[in-house]
Parts: sequence; structure tokens; C-alpha cells
Amino acid sequence: MTIDTTKSIIRIRDLHKSYGDVEILKGIDLDVYKGEVVVILGPSGSGKSTMLRCVNRLEEPTSGHIYFEDTEITDKKTNINEVRKNVGMVFQNFNLFPHLTAKKNVMIAQQKVLKRSKEEAERIAIEQLERVGLGERLDHYPDGLSGGQQQRVAIARALAMNPHVMLFDEATSALDPELVRGVLDVMRQLAKEGMTMMVVTHEMGFARDVADHVIFMEDGKVIERGAPDEVFNNPKSERTRAFIGNIA
Amino acid sequence: MDTFASPSRRKHVLAKAACIAACAIATLLLGLALTSTAPAQAHALEVEACTASPNEDGGNRILGATPTRVTWRAHSAEDESLSRITLAFADGVELSADKVKVTGLSGLDRVELNAQASAPGDGTIVIDMPEAAPAGVSFLVEIYNVVFPADGGEFQVAATTEAADGTVNELGPLGGTITVSGVSVAEGIAAWLNGQGWVQAWNSNKFLHLFFDPAIIVTSIPSVFNGWLAALGIVVIAFPAAIPVGFVLALMRMARFRILRAVAGTYVNIVRGTPMFLQIYIAFFGLPLLGLNINNFALGCCVMALNSSAYLCEIFRAGIQSISKGQFEAARSLGMNGVQTMIHVIAPQAFRRVIPTMTNELILLYKDTSLLAAVGIMETVMYAKTITAATGNITPYIVAAGFYLIVTLPMSRITRAMEDRTGTHKVALKKKPADKEPKSVTKQGWSPDLNAAKDELAIKTADL
Repeated sequence: MTIDTTKSIIRIRDLHKSYGDVEILKGIDLDVYKGEVVVILGPSGSGKSTMLRCVNRLEEPTSGHIYFEDTEITDKKTNINEVRKNVGMVFQNFNLFPHLTAKKNVMIAQQKVLKRSKEEAERIAIEQLERVGLGERLDHYPDGLSGGQQQRVAIARALAMNPHVMLFDEATSALDPELVRGVLDVMRQLAKEGMTMMVVTHEMGFARDVADHVIFMEDGKVIERGAPDEVFNNPKSERTRAFIGNIA
Repeated sequence: MDTFASPSRRKHVLAKAACIAACAIATLLLGLALTSTAPAQAHALEVEACTASPNEDGGNRILGATPTRVTWRAHSAEDESLSRITLAFADGVELSADKVKVTGLSGLDRVELNAQASAPGDGTIVIDMPEAAPAGVSFLVEIYNVVFPADGGEFQVAATTEAADGTVNELGPLGGTITVSGVSVAEGIAAWLNGQGWVQAWNSNKFLHLFFDPAIIVTSIPSVFNGWLAALGIVVIAFPAAIPVGFVLALMRMARFRILRAVAGTYVNIVRGTPMFLQIYIAFFGLPLLGLNINNFALGCCVMALNSSAYLCEIFRAGIQSISKGQFEAARSLGMNGVQTMIHVIAPQAFRRVIPTMTNELILLYKDTSLLAAVGIMETVMYAKTITAATGNITPYIVAAGFYLIVTLPMSRITRAMEDRTGTHKVALKKKPADKEPKSVTKQGWSPDLNAAKDELAIKTADL
């Protein structure tokens, strides 16, 4: 899949985020182009997730700018709900709605946000659930699904909104090892189909195979960026080398 | 018609007295002839009175279905010696010859009659005097344990006498009418109970009598039941009304706008910080002074609903805040606004989670309806109080307690069952995302500062 470098989906400029006196993000710059898969690596507490969550303003940036296509997300006047419609997000803990079946989980936002009819929402929900391999689990409640299945429902739920970009916040970290593959396969498939993705993960194999661009963060800053080959085989910083050496 | 009795044997000849007696009897008979179709027979016995003793607890009525004592008094003529008196009661009157006292008096002297009473079962009491009573005797017949029908009505006793010489006189119903008050089924059962030996033994214990009198239990159930219905009515109206008010208050307490938070917070703190008893007094005595006269029952419902809404507010707030932040985030990340998130994602889960606590609040509300007795609303306690005031017995309060318990015990059982279920549910939910290393990673993504997390939550829920 080709990456359209003329069309940036997300532009992050000098992003800062603090909680009280603690500065989590210390000036991040990042561009994500259409069709690109950006994998964000880094140790715990380096600010990867916070950065990702700033992109759909689940976290309110302290300063800096984030643009989604032509809209400035960080502008207070922006209707963030309009932006969020087009930015799908998958969480570490799935966050499925436990009172709704898998199908209803995928339908609800379509109906309430996109105002799709029940029939259309249902059709798309079934389509998306089949796409993630859960055509047999439509009427199961989240409680009755394994972690991997829940995460795939969550992916289907985000995809049903036809997002322009998907954010994955450690989508496989809460899964038992044997369930990780199913989720990663879905993500791989998405990447192959040309979905623009920002992926925070610890899965080095996935990063190496799927990423178009890898960034390595530490202590609120990007300390290494580049094509996966470069970052994995020839890291510039000692810290990146140590991290990759430890994990891989 | 021979009004001058013609007894064959005359023991005392007192013509004057006989003449006066005869005149009196003639007058009586005339009256009888007017009311009775039965052919009047010659007689010489003068029925002086036929009465029943009151058997109402603390009253002076004669109740049906309750044993009473019938007293029949008559005076035989100077030349009349009786060997048998038959007293006929109306249909449906239960009679027993077990305790019938027959006393004969001649002037102030007691006459030995050796009378024997029997109840052949045809609605009569037959008194046999084998030695025949002397003439000119006053008869006092006391029949114990006469039970009149439960429906009550007017009763008369017809007497038939048989003289020693075999002359039979049918006197018809003389001596007055016994007015019997009808009793309800409960009063009937109570009367029956009071006649039972074991009940009397039970009641001989002061504590058992004052707190658990079987007859009073039976008689108070119907009226306390009415109060129970009223209490249920108040709850059925007030609680559903309190739910939306409490929910809106909960949203206000979590709102972004300070004024909304302040208004709801003040209301909740005042209502929860003052006794409901006082709130009832203020509403019931304050509003009429303002010229607002609201129906007592409606006002009672309003006060209960407003009070309960403050408690429900806190229950809902806790419920909403117990929903994981991830649920808000997931809904918001899909583009749902605050209202949509609340209605479609948070509220349904929060409601489910607070059902046990809400049921507890419902139980409290139900019990608190008793406070309305203080302002005269006829609910459970008020009815019990009324009966206790009349009988001086605590049993009606015990009955009222029973009426509370038949609702609260099953409800708290249900609550416990629900708590158990949601408890295991929570454990199951917690177990799933259990992984060693990533946990610390997650925390970094979530606000590490607790206050920031709370503010965040307030913002999320307040986008309304």
C-alpha cells in the first residue's frame, strides 16, 4: 500500500502535556500520512499512550497543536465529536459496553452518532464482525467472550464508523499470549488494506513487519524515528538499542 | 277466652291478688294477640324480663358469634305449680345445657327446685323440675354460652310451661327483645378464640396477653391491612417519582457548572442532614399557614419522594462514578456526546449496579411512611395506634410490625441475592484483563493524579 505523503492525516506540533508539575510530554512533533502505519515504541511511562490519547483529545494537551486533516483538534472551538467520528480508537482494556451484545456494541454509535438506520447499522455491524472473524458471536455479551474476541469486537466497533485513522493503545497488552495473534492478524489485515494507523505496542515483531514508520519515545520525547529497519537494526541512541535488545 | 286461669288445685286463695294479676296478664295478652298469629293460650306465668349480658370487649353491645349469658325471669301465678319450662330460641342460636342456672325465689327465700336443664337440639332449652315447683315462685333462669348468629338481629325467647297437672301453656315470646349486633368474620373468629381454653391460658400470661393476644391479632389484621395498603400506595407513588428527581440531582452534582453543583449539593445535604420527621412537620404545618391546602395523602407522597430523591441522588452518583473511566472514553472516542454517553452507555450500567442499594432505599422509604402517622395519615402505624388506644393492648403494634416485615424481609433477601450476583460479576470482570507487566503500563496512560482523574470524570459526565 502506498503512502500518500502529500496528504497528512495527523500533524502533531510541539505537543506538551503535564499533570500538575509532572510533565509527561515534552514537545512531540509527528506526521502521519494517509495509508501509513506508525508504530510508537518506548518504555513504560515514556508518554506513548498519553500522546495517542491527545490525538482524539481524551487527554487535553497542555500546549502545542494537533491537526486532523484540515481541522485543528487543539482549537477549543472545534467540535471534537465531529473529529472523533473519524478517529477510531482501540483500548488496552477493550472497554466494550458490557450491557450490550457484540452486535449492539458495534451498532450503537452508528445509530446515535452517524444516525444510520437500525437496519443499516445492523448490516454493517454484522459485516464488520465477520471481518474480524466473529460472525458466530453476534449475540454474545462481552462477558461471554475471550479477551481476544472482545478486542476484535472493539476493533469492529471502531471500524464501523468508517474512520480515517485508527489509534491502537496497547491493544494486545491485556491479552493472554495465545490470544494475541488473532488481534494482530486483524491489525495486519487492516494495514494491508491501507488503513492509516497509529499503534502503541510492545509487539516488536508486529512493528518490524507492519510499520512504515517507527518512533521510539522516552521520557516524553521522541528520541529515535525512522523506517523499522533503521530503528531496529541500526538504532542511533544507546537507549533505543538497550530497549530493543531487552525486548527482542 | 278464659283469662281467669282455672287451676284445679288452689293452695292459696287470694282473690284480689289474682284479680290484679289476671288484669295484667289480660293486658299483656291483648298486646300479644295483636302481634302474634298463634292462638293465645291461657296462662298464668308472668315473664318479667328476658335479657342477654353484653359481651363486647370494652363495650356494652351484645355481639353475635360470641358467647353470652341469657337471663330469663318470670313469676308463676299463685295457683300455678310448674314442672317444666321450655324456652325456645330462634333458628341459628347455639345453645348448650352445660351451664344453665335455675333459681327459684319465694319472696326473699330461695326455693329448692332441683331443676335439670337439657338442650334437645331443636333450638330449645328444657328445664325439668321433677318435684314440680311450688306456686307463686319467681324463676331466674341463666343460660350461659348462648351464641347468637354472627349476622346479629333482634331475638325473642318464647316460653312454654307445663304445670304439674299436665296443663300446657304456650306463652309465646315475652319479656322483651334482645338486640344482637352483627360481627365481622374477624370478630367472630376473635370471639371464638376468646372462648378457647388455650387462648385463655395464653392470655393469663401478662406479657403474652399484652403483646400477642390472639383475638386482638385477628381483629386488628383487617384494619391494619387498610393502613398497609395506604403505606404501599405512598411508596408506589413516591418511589418512582423520586427516581428521576434523584437522577437529575446526581447529574447536577457532577456537572461542570458550579451553580448546578452547589444547588444540588445544598439540597442533598439539607435533606440528608435533617430528620424526616421534621421535614414532615414543616411541610404539613408550614404549607397550610401559607394558604396551600394540599390533600394529606398527596402531600405525604411529595415529602417522601423529595426526601428519597436526595438519598437516591447519592446512590446514582456513586453508581455513575463506579463505572470505569474506560466506558466514558470508549463512548466518547466513538463520537458520542455527553448526553448520548450518559443515556446509552453509563446510565444503563449504573442503574444495574445500584439496584441493590436502591432496593435498600426502597425499604427505608417504606418503613419511613410510618412517620406520616404523626400528621394523621391513616397508614399502618396509625391504624394500629387507634386500636391500641381503644384496647390498651400492644398487640396491634405487633401486627403492624408483621405487616412491615412481610414486605421488608423478602425485599432484603432479594437485595442480598442481587448483591451476591453483582459481586461475582465484578470479580469476573476484574479477572479478565489480569496480566502482570502491562498493568503498570496502563497506569501511565491513565491520569496518574487522582484529582485529575476526578476532574476528568466530572467533565466527561457534565457534557450535558
